[in-house]
Amino acid sequence: MTTPGATSSSSAAASTSAEAGSAQAEDAALQDALAAEHAAVWGYGTVGAALAAGSRADAVTAQEAHRDVRDRVSALLLSRGVEPVGVQAAYALPFPVLSEVDAARLAAELEAGTTAAWVWVLDQAAERSTRELAVAEASAAEVRAVAWRTRAGDTPVTSATPGLPD
Amino acid sequence: MSAPAPLPRPAGALSRRTLLAAVGVTPLLLAVGCSREAPAGADAVTPAQVDQLAGQVAVQEELLAAYDVALLSAPELAGLADQARAQLTRLRAAAPSATPTTGAVSPTVPAVAGDAGTARATLRTQVAAAATSHATACPDFTGARAALLGSIAAGLRGQDGQLA
Repeated sequence: MTTPGATSSSSAAASTSAEAGSAQAEDAALQDALAAEHAAVWGYGTVGAALAAGSRADAVTAQEAHRDVRDRVSALLLSRGVEPVGVQAAYALPFPVLSEVDAARLAAELEAGTTAAWVWVLDQAAERSTRELAVAEASAAEVRAVAWRTRAGDTPVTSATPGLPD
Repeated sequence: MSAPAPLPRPAGALSRRTLLAAVGVTPLLLAVGCSREAPAGADAVTPAQVDQLAGQVAVQEELLAAYDVALLSAPELAGLADQARAQLTRLRAAAPSATPTTGAVSPTVPAVAGDAGTARATLRTQVAAAATSHATACPDFTGARAALLGSIAAGLRGQDGQLA
């Protein structure tokens, strides 16, 4: 979806230097996940706008789910004295969204991005509670991604190890 | 006006993941008392975790056995079965102490799956159970193994949805 390594978050640099399993690495990975959640909330606005009014329910539900996670992660970081990354004014779409199929593909991309972010949190996390959150959110995002890929007519719709390299 | 930001991805993820993709090659030396070249920090494992990983391998082997039964009635599930097999390969690589099953394991599913619909329903139950097992085990680990178990759990949740 974007150039590998490109990110709007300064936390990403920290995630490459802190040792996995440290508090610093966990916070940096959570910042990356938060950035992905911000992007998903924003992106679902575009997804919904490209869908017919009668078929927007799944987009609305997904956007609400990402908004809830965004707020939860922001609160978690604040509770640790870490300033959460903010939303960008706009994001570059990976492709033009001109049809319902495009919208479904964008939604699948958004979910794949959040799945990868949460699997990365699993890799970096120090706290068990953070890993519990991460595995739940990675699974929820993958379930939504599968549904959107199905809707877009893409194959395969499932992945053996989502969020990890093949 | 500044350019729109690219949709973010974890910047450090790919390099470390790529590095740890082969974590199973030397992961458990620490657990068997050999300290040289053993992984440190988040990628270290305890003897109890070695046993737990072997248990997750067994869960996945049982799922493969369930797929073998389901494929008799629903051959269109071959793609999902291939993914489950790929998951087992990666789990075994992360837990080399696990002994690969050379013969058929004893699945907890009926030997005859019935018609395609019944086969899918029965298999779906097995997939969901395996996903729950891996997701439950995931937080007990750190580092690459936590990521692998969580990713596999997510992948099986996706299969569960596909089998609905």
